[in-house]
Amino acid sequence: MPFQRSNDVARKKRRQGQSEYFFDYSLLFIVLFLLGFGLVMLYSTSSYEAAQKYGSSTYYLVKQLKSTILGLVGMMVIANIPYHFWEKFYGFGYLISVVLLALIIPFGHESGGAKRWFRIGGMSIQPSEIAKLCMILFLAVVICKMGKSIRTMKGFLALLALPLPIVIMVWRITSNLSSAIIIMGIAVLMVFVASPDYKKFILMGLAGVAGVALVVFIIVNVANSDTLNYRGGRILAWLDPEAYVSDKGYQTLQALYAIGSGGIWGKGLGQSMQKLGFIPEAQNDMIFSIICEELGLFGAVAIILMFVMLIWRLMVIANNAPDLFGALLVVGVMGHMAIQVILNIAVVTNTIPNTGISLPFISYGGTAVLFQLAEIGLVLNVAKRIQLKEV
Amino acid sequence: MSRENNSAKQHSGDKDKTRRKFTVRMQKKLLVLFALFLLVFIGLGVRLFWIGREKGEQYSKQVLSQQRYDSITLPFRRGDILDCNGTSLAVSEKVYNLVIDANVMLDKEEYLEPTLAALGSCFPQLDMGTIRSYITEHPSSRYYVPLKKLTYMEISAFVAMQNDTAKDAEGNPGPGTYIKGVWFEEEYKRTYPNGSLASDVIGFTTSDGIGMYGLEEYYNDILDGTTGREYGYLNGDSTLERTTKPAVDGYTLVSTLDVNVQSIAERYLSEYNEEYTNNHTEGPGARNMAVILMEVNTGNVLAMASYPNFDLNSPYDLSAYYTEEEINTMKETDIDSYYEALNAIWRNFCISDTYEPGSTFKPFTVAMGLETGKLNSTDTFLCEGSLTVVEGQKPIRCHNRVGDGTVSLEKAVATSCNVALMRMAFRIGADIFAEYQRNFNFGLKTNVDLAGETRTAELVHNADSMGPTELATGSFGQGFNVTMIQMITGFCSLINGGYYYEPHLVKQICTTSGSVVENIEPRVLRQTISESTSDLIRQYCTATCDPDYPGATGKKARPAGYKIGGKTGTAETIPRGNGEYVVSFMGFAPADDPQIAIYVVLDRPNLQDQSTGTAQAAIIARNILTEVLPYEGIFMTEELSESERKELEEKKLEDTIRYAPSVSDGDAGGEPSQEDPAAGENAPWMSFQKDPATGYLIDPVTNELLDPETGYVVGNYDAIQ
Repeated sequence: MPFQRSNDVARKKRRQGQSEYFFDYSLLFIVLFLLGFGLVMLYSTSSYEAAQKYGSSTYYLVKQLKSTILGLVGMMVIANIPYHFWEKFYGFGYLISVVLLALIIPFGHESGGAKRWFRIGGMSIQPSEIAKLCMILFLAVVICKMGKSIRTMKGFLALLALPLPIVIMVWRITSNLSSAIIIMGIAVLMVFVASPDYKKFILMGLAGVAGVALVVFIIVNVANSDTLNYRGGRILAWLDPEAYVSDKGYQTLQALYAIGSGGIWGKGLGQSMQKLGFIPEAQNDMIFSIICEELGLFGAVAIILMFVMLIWRLMVIANNAPDLFGALLVVGVMGHMAIQVILNIAVVTNTIPNTGISLPFISYGGTAVLFQLAEIGLVLNVAKRIQLKEV
Repeated sequence: MSRENNSAKQHSGDKDKTRRKFTVRMQKKLLVLFALFLLVFIGLGVRLFWIGREKGEQYSKQVLSQQRYDSITLPFRRGDILDCNGTSLAVSEKVYNLVIDANVMLDKEEYLEPTLAALGSCFPQLDMGTIRSYITEHPSSRYYVPLKKLTYMEISAFVAMQNDTAKDAEGNPGPGTYIKGVWFEEEYKRTYPNGSLASDVIGFTTSDGIGMYGLEEYYNDILDGTTGREYGYLNGDSTLERTTKPAVDGYTLVSTLDVNVQSIAERYLSEYNEEYTNNHTEGPGARNMAVILMEVNTGNVLAMASYPNFDLNSPYDLSAYYTEEEINTMKETDIDSYYEALNAIWRNFCISDTYEPGSTFKPFTVAMGLETGKLNSTDTFLCEGSLTVVEGQKPIRCHNRVGDGTVSLEKAVATSCNVALMRMAFRIGADIFAEYQRNFNFGLKTNVDLAGETRTAELVHNADSMGPTELATGSFGQGFNVTMIQMITGFCSLINGGYYYEPHLVKQICTTSGSVVENIEPRVLRQTISESTSDLIRQYCTATCDPDYPGATGKKARPAGYKIGGKTGTAETIPRGNGEYVVSFMGFAPADDPQIAIYVVLDRPNLQDQSTGTAQAAIIARNILTEVLPYEGIFMTEELSESERKELEEKKLEDTIRYAPSVSDGDAGGEPSQEDPAAGENAPWMSFQKDPATGYLIDPVTNELLDPETGYVVGNYDAIQ
């Protein structure tokens, strides 16, 4: 294992009297690559719309670049703060999430029909992104504190109940089901790793699948689509996007057109036709479809592999983390990244119904990239603390 | 951090619950989780591959098919029509259609109200209720045109507001920031700045830009440009390219018409019309009336006016001639009569209507005889008031029922003696008569550059169908039909030395930027008669308008200060004896050096005795010439009487006789008889052949060159050769 080797090196250095300093450059490189690639794709995807709407083709690029630089600075700062420093803030973080989400009701900024943002000094901040990070911290601390009681049914249920208030607030207040699902998913995955049990999770998974199947079945059989709400319509559009081409299925279908027309090698960087007004706001959730169109199946698989490597790196760091708290933090981040990438690609390929989920490090979105980099900073600090087993 | 610290923490961490290890079991579970993720990623990869393989082709087509290849037509600008001085007769103006894009307007909430408010304030003619309901009912509509053909002035206020997006001092964005979803589509609209002026000649355009009648129709292809296009296409790499092919504007026509001459002619026609409307019977001053003024030596038409006319800007407006009730009845009960009524006002009498010319044809008959040698300038004919052409039939009468006695050729023309003309015609014979009619283009088209010239081939006798009666009546212009343009063009050739110029109304075609594409030069089609015959005809016609000539019919046509030539015409229409006449006057000025020919026709004037209308035609011609001749820079030659001086003062015209030194020099040096062809015969050298190289005359005996004005010897003809 590479870690064994690097630890050997570290030990040698220590024996020679040099100060130990481990930094996970592999992870940093992957993240930087994704960020760089993301900015290139963001420019390619958004330049047409930016020029049309704002008269400057670099409008989105510049905004994203600012957030990215800020995020990188934040990441380096956090990477140098011992992660145990955050331990005492777990309750406070939970509280902050609740308060911020509640404040959305009177002070939220509405855009595109949803109230999800605060505007502070020209920047928009999305509290649900903050909640994700806070939830990772909160659960890591709580699981550590619970110790062996996690094995009991009571402990297990308590762990799953704790994130629910936040999840419900994100869902109901910001009407952002996808973020709610992600937060709940992070929680479930963290509990899954921490708990020695498999049975409960298999049952939970089966129950989930059955529940989803039942909902889909009911919706399909409701003849009158007028009585269906927004999400019900999305499910119908998911099952048959061609039938809803002018409405709910439009974005999905256009994304599929983009993917299908890309072929193996794609049309070439910048050559997408679908970004020219056909996929609305392609730089947000649908950016992966433009990657498929311009870079083809090859490019798409390459990007998926990059994410797989990122997740693998996170897994390795978690497995070598000096303690449970650090490991759980990393597992939370890993769960966050994995869920978001999987759900994003699943939406773009119409594998699941359309719901707004951005692709980490690549999609346009200032708050998202800031907090994702903060998470990476946290992971880098955990990696820094990795100890040699033989000491 | 140092090693000691780390290990210390490690040891104490064992006791602390939060310092618990991440157990091997957990590591394994994490590995399971990773494997699950990997599986999902593989699944997604397969899904991507499946989409590409199964739907790739279909989706690729879909992507191409939803690209906007639609082309936008860029309108061309139809060429203008200008008069000879550059005054606009017909122009194309850029106009704007207001287009509402509801989709864009509803894009953001803050757009709708400011945009509607701006529309309401800038276009008061808009019904905002309709607009609002249209937008709410058709939220995805991208092309709704509530207003058409707005001028730039009308839209400028809105455009200024739309463009005002700059932030003000307080940082609030300008009103234009919220005005979205409104744009203007360009188009061209044909307008005629002079309204009804020369309406029959210019013609109009349909709403889709096709010329109807007159110059607009005849030169439609030249006035038309080529529409441009903006279109998209896929290049070799299947990328969409958009290309603009700009519109090519049409060419501008420069007409020979002169707006001033045209308006003088139309003014006197309408004056006559006003005076005689409802005079004898209810109705206009004459069923048709028309005037043509033509340059004698080029065939350029200076003015061509006819009544009834119409406003070119609203060609379908019949309200000047019919009441609203009448129009509605026509539309409802008999749509054909409605279009007939429209046609009647649209058609150009000067080229489209035929009639029997009457006595204005007499100079042609005389010219035929002189040219073929059947007549001699010294011949005389006896008129006893009537002539029996065919035994047993009623004799054909002269105007002068008691008879003119013995008349010379000059007197026959000047007093318009029918009997003398019939006798001449019999001497000429049907063959020559028919041949010369064709020579003068009667029965043929003149090819004037106007749409709608009538074919007259069946309306003129040929030698075989011409019996003695047809020949006899033909000599004084009855029994066959002509158009006005045929008459005046032929008449010009009679008096200009025999050169038959093709009549035309356009002298230049140029681009919008003014560079010349084509100059249309005067074109001589043929020589109809010789110079010497032409001189005689000019002499006879001048006698007709000589106020001192006893019995001359055209005295009333002479304008103050000028000596002119001309011929009157009073033609009975068919059936004979119904008391209906087409009366006319045809003349030229100045008499000695003809520059301008004029032809006035009154078709069935609204008079108790229509045959007296001939005098009216002559008076109209006189009034027009009185103003046109000074305008054209032709100096007066005759002394003015007191009443004439007063008339000129009233019309604010100047006595220009003093500016004409060459005439007075000629009086001093030349022979007086030469100035007055009615008083004596031609000087002997006048009939000599002209040297084409120098313009001097050649004495056939001595071969010497003679000055055509004075008859003085200039040099030896051979020597010059």
